[in-house]
Amino acid sequence: MNDYIVELKNIQKKFENVLVLKDVNFGIRDRETISICGTSGAGKTTLINIIGLLELPTHGNIFWEDQNAIICNAKKISQMRGKIFGYIFQRCNLIPELNVIENILFPKRITSKISISDMEFARELLQRVHLGGFENRNVWTLSGGESQRVAVVRAMINRPRIVIADEPTGSLDEKSAHITMDMIVNLCREYGSSLLLITHNQLFAKKTQTSYILNNSELKPFDYAKSEQ
Amino acid sequence: MNWCIYLALKQLFPTGKKFSFFSIMSIIGVALGVMVLFVVQSVMNGFQHEIRQTIVSTQGEVRIDVNNNILYNADRLKDRPEVAALARYAYGVGMLEYNNRSIFPLIKGIDLENEIKVVELQKFIKEGSLQNFDNRSIILSSELASQIGATVGSSVEIYSPIMLKAFQTNEIILPKTLKIVATYETGYRQADENIAIMMLDTMQDLYGLGEGVHGISLKLKPNIRPEKFAFELNKDLTRPMHAASWQEINKDLLFVLKTEKTMMFFVLVFILLVAAFSITSSMTISVVRKTREIGLINALGGTIRQCGACFMIQGFIIGIAGSVIGVTVGALILRFRNDIISVFAKLCGIENFMLKFYSFANMPATYRLGDILTLVTFAISICCLAGMLPARKVAKIKPADALRNE
Repeated sequence: MNDYIVELKNIQKKFENVLVLKDVNFGIRDRETISICGTSGAGKTTLINIIGLLELPTHGNIFWEDQNAIICNAKKISQMRGKIFGYIFQRCNLIPELNVIENILFPKRITSKISISDMEFARELLQRVHLGGFENRNVWTLSGGESQRVAVVRAMINRPRIVIADEPTGSLDEKSAHITMDMIVNLCREYGSSLLLITHNQLFAKKTQTSYILNNSELKPFDYAKSEQ
Repeated sequence: MNWCIYLALKQLFPTGKKFSFFSIMSIIGVALGVMVLFVVQSVMNGFQHEIRQTIVSTQGEVRIDVNNNILYNADRLKDRPEVAALARYAYGVGMLEYNNRSIFPLIKGIDLENEIKVVELQKFIKEGSLQNFDNRSIILSSELASQIGATVGSSVEIYSPIMLKAFQTNEIILPKTLKIVATYETGYRQADENIAIMMLDTMQDLYGLGEGVHGISLKLKPNIRPEKFAFELNKDLTRPMHAASWQEINKDLLFVLKTEKTMMFFVLVFILLVAAFSITSSMTISVVRKTREIGLINALGGTIRQCGACFMIQGFIIGIAGSVIGVTVGALILRFRNDIISVFAKLCGIENFMLKFYSFANMPATYRLGDILTLVTFAISICCLAGMLPARKVAKIKPADALRNE
């Protein structure tokens, strides 16, 4: 029994004899903010896919809330994934057939039923990301920054225990990127979610409590303060 | 609402758009197929119904061939609870002459009083009246009358086979002169082509039948199945007497009608298949386009299987919407079919063609709930199958690959 929400033990991942992850031991605690940096192709996205069991490791175990998730069936994994994780991707991936509020409430629709309080929570979150009044806007009318903020709100709607953000500002300009990043960090802090941030940007990585670097298939802790000295 | 159904509905009818081109075209495709099948089947049913009605109206529901057995007591059939009315008849070929024109019709001798209780003779009278029909008169089919150029009021001479035999022994028997009191037309070619009707007494005299008859026509009480009744009756009859239902007598014609309907269904079903193929192809393209979306839904807590179900549900919704629209539009077309046909006939300059070729002034159509249910079930099943192929494609998608998809 430990205080990890998610824990990876001895994770190894190979793609056709190419070792991408080697003996990764890693965990995310409640309300912890973590960043993982690494060069392109280092295996960052593979790692977060394995954390959310969107991809199976070649070897090792993954524990979600002390349950060995690998031995669970696909339905159970999907249900748990929807409740534990909130995802923000580089591309906002909004569903074009749904408007803003429908997109935000969609994860809630998958995991449970939508109540009036969910609607109110969605509106509150939209206010927090300065998109109040955008509820009924069609998503194709939004700018890139606005779309990404809608995706941030969507990731928060289930009050996930962990928000996984995979280069969430990668397609935004610097100013929008900073605004969006601050919003993600603040919302996670305020609503008690842990944050796992995948980024190239050291400034953003410094906003988190713990940083890791993924290099040569190995995940190692990294201290920005020490490296600057 | 289950999120799969919700997403399927939203993908077909997206928020913020008046309509989705794919949905509208798919629904129209299915609706066209269902509508054409529904209209054609209903018209075929209508024709079948008209022909069946005409057969029953002219032949009765069951006929007993008593083969000139005068000992057979027809009256005892009246005691059977299934029998509503019965009429004796005799028939044979004779020679009919008018203005030196000779033809050889099938002559039917009827017991008018009972005959009109069994068949709807009055309904088919085209000219003249049954009121003056007696031992000195005859009724001709309108086609027979026109062949010899006779009209109501004309007198025709009848020669029976007995008279022809008498000629061989140099005996001279004068032909029977009968006055035409009416002409009839049933619309059923077999009954209209070559039949003359006279009183049973006259027929028995002419053919030397004495009190004998050739057969008995029966009308049954409502809800009595003629085939079953004929089968039961045959247990009591001794050979060569035989009872046959109208279905058995006309089984070849009924088989042709049934085969025609089945063939029509088979041919027209291809419209639905084409619509289903276009749905499959559009949905398969949609699966490729939405690969990232499928990965995202998986990340949000949905399973790949549920994503596949969305596509099947879309097929199901298209099937239901297409069927409802198809049946509704089909019913409207059938409701106004005669107006539509008359406009079409006027445009093509072929007025009254229905009457000329089919003997029906109006196009017959009969809806059958069973046919509609079969058609709708078939259309929905085909659309579900059309959605199943893309769903299978979705099932093969790996979530992580889908999310990496550009």
